[in-house]
Order: sequence, then structure tokens, then C-alpha cells
Amino acid sequence: MTVLADGDGQDLLALERRSSSLRSVKSAASYAVLVLFTIISVGPALYIISPAFRNSKSLFSYPPQWLPNEFYLGNFQFLLTETNYVRWAMNTLIFATGVTLIALVIDTLAGYAFARMQFPLKKTLFGLILATLMVPTAAVLAPTYLLVRFLDDVTFGLVGIDTYPGLILPMTVSPLGVFMMRQFIETLPPGLYEAARIDGASEWRIFTRIVLPLMKPAIVVLGIFVFMLQWANLLWPLVATTKDETRVLTVGISTLQGQFVTNWGVIAAATLITLLPITIVFLFFQKWFVQASVAGALKQ
Amino acid sequence: MTTAPATPNWAQLAMSPDEYAREHTRFRRRALKPVLGFVGPFLFLWTLFLAIPMGWATWLSFNEGGLVSDAKFVGLKNWTTFLDNDELRTAIKNTSLYVVVAIVVVFGLALMLASLLNNNKKGQNFFKVALYFPLLVPPIMAGMIFFFLTHYDMGVINLLLQTAGQERVNFLGANPNALMTIAGLEVWRGLGFWVLFYLAGLQSVPTDLIDAGKIDGARNTRRFLRISLPTLRPLMLFALVIALIFNFQLFDSVQALTKGGPTLGTTSIVWFIYKQLFTFQESGVAYATSLALLLLVVTLTIFAYGFLGRRKDGLE
Repeated sequence: MTVLADGDGQDLLALERRSSSLRSVKSAASYAVLVLFTIISVGPALYIISPAFRNSKSLFSYPPQWLPNEFYLGNFQFLLTETNYVRWAMNTLIFATGVTLIALVIDTLAGYAFARMQFPLKKTLFGLILATLMVPTAAVLAPTYLLVRFLDDVTFGLVGIDTYPGLILPMTVSPLGVFMMRQFIETLPPGLYEAARIDGASEWRIFTRIVLPLMKPAIVVLGIFVFMLQWANLLWPLVATTKDETRVLTVGISTLQGQFVTNWGVIAAATLITLLPITIVFLFFQKWFVQASVAGALKQ
Repeated sequence: MTTAPATPNWAQLAMSPDEYAREHTRFRRRALKPVLGFVGPFLFLWTLFLAIPMGWATWLSFNEGGLVSDAKFVGLKNWTTFLDNDELRTAIKNTSLYVVVAIVVVFGLALMLASLLNNNKKGQNFFKVALYFPLLVPPIMAGMIFFFLTHYDMGVINLLLQTAGQERVNFLGANPNALMTIAGLEVWRGLGFWVLFYLAGLQSVPTDLIDAGKIDGARNTRRFLRISLPTLRPLMLFALVIALIFNFQLFDSVQALTKGGPTLGTTSIVWFIYKQLFTFQESGVAYATSLALLLLVVTLTIFAYGFLGRRKDGLE
């Protein structure tokens, strides 16, 4: 960049040089700060590798031991044989995937209707749904629990406490998803389907043949968003499951904390093998994850 | 298809008003059918699992019991004794303090890091990924990870302090340390999200505004304070409301790290609701608290989208 000034050339050059060296000092400082926060972000989770491979007793030794002396696998062995870890992991997978799939279907359909179809009370209905955009599970915890218990009786145990449908269905309702899908469909050029509509194609045909293929990015983003939210969900699974076999990972791992003695090595091992798969998936699809997190709030 | 008569009589109505009305409703009903197919599934689940529970929550706030025994109507009692409950008062105080600390710290750091990233493009993607990482960790597991940092006996920080000959810090077993440790956890987990949020915001600041500032000779800091920040203001208000909504729901890290203690020091509003409902079954006040939380969140949501609406109008 050139600076316009009426001083002589000599001065100008000196000024340029000084400001460029100032700039490099500043950018070095910026990177130092960024690196520091990178360490803060990733460091704590990386440290968990060490206690996972150590006998819990050695955790309390001092000076602190950074690397395991021996490659102790007892924690993992305990986790896989003495606890229901595998079952919890499976439950988490079924729960989070189930919620994600159902949410994607109902949100995309409803998003299309709110974006492109005309029907009475559309505005009012959408306003009502928007008002419930962020209703916390905690605020409706008791009635939702009572409702699922009631459904247990009515559906003869199909939807109830300690069942997959009872765990999954209440979490599938996310007005945010409908909102995101509607916003996305509205950005698609209307010419696309007006032609099809004039040709007499049904709404369903327009939706599946024209709109859906264009929605892939929005679907991936919403899918990741919902999955991430549910796989981390603690409060609802805590209330909706009572048996050890029906627990999900978040609830299961928190029960590993004993009331009197806690086997910290086992907790470290559980945290490690739970975070490993999601981290690998994340590293492959980071672009989508990053989009998904900001999308929830920003993509208007 | 029926064939039209050769010379239609245009003066004569094809349908009587009655017939017309019938056809009209028939047509509308037929047009409504696909709509139901599209909105129906969502609307059904929304009504069943959101609208009904919300109404039910309102009704429950005038009741006691109901989770184990039968519900008993107590009128306004839950509401009149609402603030007499010491535990609830502490929970509201704790949550408010936590919300203020967490939001101020996380927004300050996020704005700083976002503007650093915005000015230093090299390696931006690497830092974005690294800062995002904690968001992958469910709060309950972030809690487990934090044990290994802050535990009095085996936490790395304390082991390091001890090695350096310093006093150990009781991060989790004393007040207000415990609440601050929990705020630290939420900052750790949420920082990446807000950095990305503000980075997206900063990148959406129109470049001609920035260029105009450059031509006028405004420096980096000045451009940030006078151009970027004011442009971001509606977005920041929106972010603030979203952060308020999320942070008022503090629960997972309390469950992981402190279970509400020591001596109620980390009891949050949601922790109070959960504890009252599912451990003590004294649900009356918890029902009222749930409804208060619900009303608070719905009001804040309407506000948030009000801000955002204004931002859109301003830009278009």
C-alpha cells in the first residue's frame, strides 16, 4: 500500500519501514496470543490421554507424572467388562441418530410448507412456533416426563420411560430447524418451481425432485447441529431412563463417579474413547461443523 | 375433461351461488391436503411435545406433587412462597453471577480473538479448528476433563503449584471458587463458538466501510472501535440474548463437578428444578420456577429476533 504525503521521499521510506516492522511485531504478538488459546483449547483434552493409561493411584503422586511409566490398560479393560459402556455408546448412537433423522424429515417438510405454500393462519402459526424457538428442556421437564409416563399407559409401553421412542420423540421438536429450513428454501430462486407448478407437478413432486436435491448443504448443517446437541444431552436422558442398560453415555459416565471412591483412571479412559470417534469425524468434516455451529444462530 | 359447448352463453352464470360456494370450499380443502402432509408431522410432534407440556407447565405451577403422588391444586401458594425459598434465592443469585461472569469473559475474549483472526489471515483455518474443538466435548465430559485440572489432590494445576512450592488452590471445594471454576469450564467450551460467531460478523462488515476508514487514515484499533463494532451492535445484542438464554440453563457442569455444593455454592436454577422434582419431590416451587424460566426464555427469544429484524432492515 502506498501512502500519499507531501514530505520528501526519504522520510516516507523510513516511515514505511518503521510501520512494517511495527506490523510484524504486532502480528507476532497476535500469533502468540492465538497459540496460547490454542493450547488452552486443546491441552486439557489431550492431557486426559495420560491418566487413561495410568493406574488411578499414580494420579495422586507428586511431582506430577506427565507420561505414563507403564502402558496400563486396566482402565479400558474395566470399562469394557465391568460397566455397560458398550451399551451406553450404542444407546447414545441410537438416540442421537434417531432424533437427527426424525428432526430432519419433519423440519424440512414443514420448512417447505412455511416457505412456499399458502394456507390459512400460516403467519400466526409460524409466529407461535418461533416464540417456542428456544424453550429449554428444563422448563418443561416435569410435564414432558409426566406426558411420556402417560403415553406409556396409552401406547402399552411403546412410547415410555426407558424406551427408545420415549427417549427420542420429545427431543425431535426443534422449531429452530424449521426456521433454518424455511430461511434456506426462501433463498432458492422461485422461478425454479414455478415452471414445474405451471406444468402441473404436484407439491410433493416439486419438493422431492427440485427442492430436496438443492437442500443438501442445509440438511448436512442441520443434521450436524441436531446430532451435536443430542449426543451431549444430559438432562432429558437423565430423567427418561432409569435402568443402567437404557442409559446413554453422558448419563452413564456421570454414574462412574462413585459416591465415596472414584476410579479416576476409568473416567479418563471413558472420556478418551468417547471423544476419539467424534474428533476423527470432526477433523474430516470440520468445514461443515464450523458452519453448523454458526448456522444455528447466524444464518438468517 | 369435458368438452365445452360450441357457443358458450357468457351472460349466464355457470354455477349458482350455492354451487359456487360448495366448489370453493371443495377447492380449498383439496389445496389444503398437501399442506397437511407437509406441516402435519412437525405440527403433531410440536403440539404433543412442546405446546401441551407448556400448557401443562402453566397448570402445574398451581399444583403440588404429581410426580409420585397425585397432584394437588394449591392455587397461588407456589407463587406467593416463590421467593421465600432460600435455596431458590441462592440459585437465582448463583446463576445470575455465573451468567454475568461467563458472558463478560467469553464475549471479551471472543471479540479479541475474532479480530486477531480477522487481521491475521495466515493459519486462520487451523486456529478456527483448534478453538472450535472444545465444543465437541459434551459439558458433562468437559466436567470430567476439568476434574483432572482442578481436583484438589490430583488436579494438574495443583500438582504444578505444589511442585513450584506454592499453596494449592481449592477450586471445587470452596466458595466462590467452585462457581468460578464452572464459569471457566463454560468459557472454555463456548469460546470457539463465539469466536466463529464474531468472526463471521466481522467478515460481514461491508468492505467499502472499512476502505473508507482506511482512506480517511483511521488505524486498526480506531477502525475496529468506530466502524466494525457499531456495525456489529445489533448482532451483539442478538448474541447477548442468545447467550443469556443458554447460560441461564446451567446444569451439566454442576452435575459433573460439584452437585450444587459446597453448601449450595453452585446450585443453579435448573439444578434446583431438577433436584426438587426428582430427588425431593417437593415439586410445587419447582413447577413455579420452571414456568418462570419458560416465560423468561420466550420473552428473551421474542426480543432477540426483534433485534435481528432491525439489523436486516438497516442493511437492506
